[in-house]
Amino acid sequence: MSLRKKTLKFDFSLIFCMIGLFLIGIFNLYSITEGQSKSYLVSYQIVWFCLSLSIAFGFSFISSNNLLRYSYWIFFFNILLLILVLVLGKVGMGAQRWIGIGPIRIQPSEFMKLSLIFALARWFSEKSPDQSVSLKETLLPLAFVLPPMFLIYKQPDLGTSLILLIIYSFIIFYRGLHWKSIFKVAGLILLAGILMYSFLLKSYQKKRILTFLNPYEDAKDAGYNAIQSEIAIGSGLFWGKGFNKSSQASLNFLPEKHTDFVFSIFSEEHGFFGSVILIILFALLFYRLISIAKDANRIFDSIFVIGVVAIFFSHIFVNIGMVSGILPIVGLPLPFMSYGGSSLLLFGMCIGFVNSISTSRTIF
Amino acid sequence: MFDEEEIVELHHERADFLFGIILTLFGLLILRLFYLQFIRGDILYKYSIENRLRSEVVWAPRGKIISRDNEVLVDNRPRFDAVVTRQYLKKKDETFSKLEKVLNLSREELQKKIRKYRGEPAYRPIILKKNLSNKEIALIETQLEKFPGISVQVSISREYLSEEMGAHLYGYISEINSDQLPKYKKRDNYAYNLGDLVGQAGIEKSFDLDLRGQNGREYVEVDALGRKRKYVNTDNFFSGVEAIKSVPGNNLKITIDKELQELAADLLKEKVGSVVAIDVKTGEIITMLSTPSFKPSSFTRGLDKKYWQSLLNNPLRPLYDKTIQEHYSPGSTFKIITALSGLIEEIVTPYTSFHCNGSMKLGNRTYHCWKERGHGDVSLRKAIRESCNVYFQKIALELDIDVLAQYANLLGFGVKTGISLARETSGLMPSRSWKKKTHGTKWNKGETLSCSIGQSFVLTTTLQLANAYAAISNGGKLMKPILVREVIDAKGKVVKTFEPEVIKNINIEDHILREIRSGLYEVVNHEQGTARRFKDKLVKLAGKTGTTQVVSKSKVEHYEKCEDFPYKYRHNAVFAGFAPYDDPKIAIAAIVEHGCNGGLSAGPVVYNLAKRYLEKYHPNLVSKIK
Repeated sequence: MSLRKKTLKFDFSLIFCMIGLFLIGIFNLYSITEGQSKSYLVSYQIVWFCLSLSIAFGFSFISSNNLLRYSYWIFFFNILLLILVLVLGKVGMGAQRWIGIGPIRIQPSEFMKLSLIFALARWFSEKSPDQSVSLKETLLPLAFVLPPMFLIYKQPDLGTSLILLIIYSFIIFYRGLHWKSIFKVAGLILLAGILMYSFLLKSYQKKRILTFLNPYEDAKDAGYNAIQSEIAIGSGLFWGKGFNKSSQASLNFLPEKHTDFVFSIFSEEHGFFGSVILIILFALLFYRLISIAKDANRIFDSIFVIGVVAIFFSHIFVNIGMVSGILPIVGLPLPFMSYGGSSLLLFGMCIGFVNSISTSRTIF
Repeated sequence: MFDEEEIVELHHERADFLFGIILTLFGLLILRLFYLQFIRGDILYKYSIENRLRSEVVWAPRGKIISRDNEVLVDNRPRFDAVVTRQYLKKKDETFSKLEKVLNLSREELQKKIRKYRGEPAYRPIILKKNLSNKEIALIETQLEKFPGISVQVSISREYLSEEMGAHLYGYISEINSDQLPKYKKRDNYAYNLGDLVGQAGIEKSFDLDLRGQNGREYVEVDALGRKRKYVNTDNFFSGVEAIKSVPGNNLKITIDKELQELAADLLKEKVGSVVAIDVKTGEIITMLSTPSFKPSSFTRGLDKKYWQSLLNNPLRPLYDKTIQEHYSPGSTFKIITALSGLIEEIVTPYTSFHCNGSMKLGNRTYHCWKERGHGDVSLRKAIRESCNVYFQKIALELDIDVLAQYANLLGFGVKTGISLARETSGLMPSRSWKKKTHGTKWNKGETLSCSIGQSFVLTTTLQLANAYAAISNGGKLMKPILVREVIDAKGKVVKTFEPEVIKNINIEDHILREIRSGLYEVVNHEQGTARRFKDKLVKLAGKTGTTQVVSKSKVEHYEKCEDFPYKYRHNAVFAGFAPYDDPKIAIAAIVEHGCNGGLSAGPVVYNLAKRYLEKYHPNLVSKIK
């Protein structure tokens, strides 16, 4: 099939969602950074998005047969990169999450989300996919999940390492894990969470969680950020203050407002109305993704798309949840809206792979 | 067997279910937004428009430093600073030109201060001028509407009472600098901010964590001019936004006696030098003074550049703590270490006598005694009493430098004492391997002879010297010098105590030490002793004088006496001793730079301190009725 023909078969609703979200995001970012020392971020973000879009385009032509074939290799290569980051971090000073290649910094932990999906999708599509997966069968593939979780947790990046767990949960749920087992696992995770909290978490991570549980108790600025974020959102009322009229943004009340807190500013400027429209746009994205998963030719493709659903959902839900005060502030970007090259590239790849799966569905 | 597509179809139920979960959770988010933007919207809108709510640091009062005799040495007092909050700054040029006149600062200086905080949030106040005068405060406070964005902020400043007598001990506090910030964050696991005050020297530094306390947080409401009042939670919306109280720092009870410290300062007035007095049983430091000194309060109050430059350029080095950072030749005060080594190694007995005719020879070099005519027949006691070089150098003929170094180390020479002050130097006690390493040459015997009378390579700090004499007087136990006795919390509860700690024990029979002590007693109390002018039946001081040359003899031989030399060529004066002789309580060492004569310059410092100490703490020992 010719390039042109194939391109015409692209899943345009998917790409429309991506571009639409990005456009909203870039105007929002402009509003946040305008007149401040960080206004260059807007042009950077546009460059990153173009890159991300080209990657999405390019990856649309990778057949899922190849993905299946190299899935484990991709996974192991990513693990190596994570180890490398840890070693480099040891050599340098303090926490390090990225590898520098020339002027570009790559965060292997971002791509681990995708690599894990490859490994899990292959594993679960090869082990009697016609039967619901039993609790016992979910234990072995944990060997894919725990090592990268540990490596990323060591960086330290709690948010990302928890996302790996969410991806895993989505996939075993999708593979028909029995409800009874689900409750058992949920109980287990709860227990693990409690243990982790008491033994493993760094003090600042604990503080974040405590800050979330009671933002008003904190002696440092973290609780104050949560309050300021809520003030920003709440003050948007129904219609919002209007584009570029955020009062919380210009005074630096919110740190990381171009990454973690983009939604707060968006919601302040566009109100409940704008926020709901944004959420509906996200919901449309999921509607499309789930449809693609259902229409997939092969179970590998289908599981892969569910994994992508898990990535997008965890980012969106955790991000909006944390800035609106129902989840702890863990520092996850909002897809296509938050500033950040690595995350944009990752989401572009996701869209590309899914598009490839969607396109291949209609050929045969 | 199913084919692939049928397998996917088997999963449709779960796919729909997942979508359902996603929609439900999105619904939850929308519900939350509805709550914030409708139910709480009006209140939150008000907050955002007025930026009413602001969190501010409540500075914790730093702990006090209290002397042995329960006098407050270091305290806090409020300090008033002029600050600008950029968020409220209006008509910048106009405001600043008015401000220039009030604060007496140039536009340039004002802008420089603001520029330093460029990346910081606009609601955070920036200090423009510290320590305002009453007049400046009045000028600003009474016409706040003329200065939008400018206000007077209260913070805590350190007050050092009779500061110059304890400057080196107290140290000082100042704002944490950008180099220290990451280091201290890691070290203390504490989120410091630029502008936080931390101890930078002395006790303020060593006990920073005890003294610091914990800053609190307070929520304030601000009006359009940036004036603030405490946030009162009337609508009960921010249910938890109550002030977090600051926790005051712990007080330190230190071992220094204020009265004796003042006396020492008086005795060393106009002189350059240092003195250390130690409780011989506990190692507690009773007096520790270095002159000239500086004013630590000037570091927290906003340092005057001229003052700082004058401190740096002063050739007498006032910033230097001469009790621990400077090292000196111990001179004759070191002779008792040679004597001790000779006795332990059985090179001499207390009854061994040598003849001194004014000099001795080793190879083709002549070693002179300070007394040209010679001391005649000299016993150990007489040698100590009259400080006969020849006697000790004759011991040194039989003594290996490594053996001497070993005993000297046991008495703390060449080793840091471990006092809780930064920047202590270790002094120097040479050995064969040391010389090989640093000079690359072999040790020669002549150097042992020089070292045996405290010259050549041997270097000591005043603290080491006092501590060595304390060990001689207490039976051979080298104590760790203690500066802080107790850490006491704000409620008066003792949270930490520092117990006496023996670091080294020379383990010899006391009769050997007694011989040394008798010699030292005769230095002061025998009619031939080099410090006989301090003979006092009540104080019963025992000690040793030392007078050390600081330049080679040839430079000064055309002068008749030391007092005629150019100042910096004059001999250093050393005196170390303890009292009372028969029941030692306190050991003291004093070094007066270019004081010419140990007995004349350093002696009075030691004698007067010993006397005053005994009168104050052991009156029964010095009462005349006894």
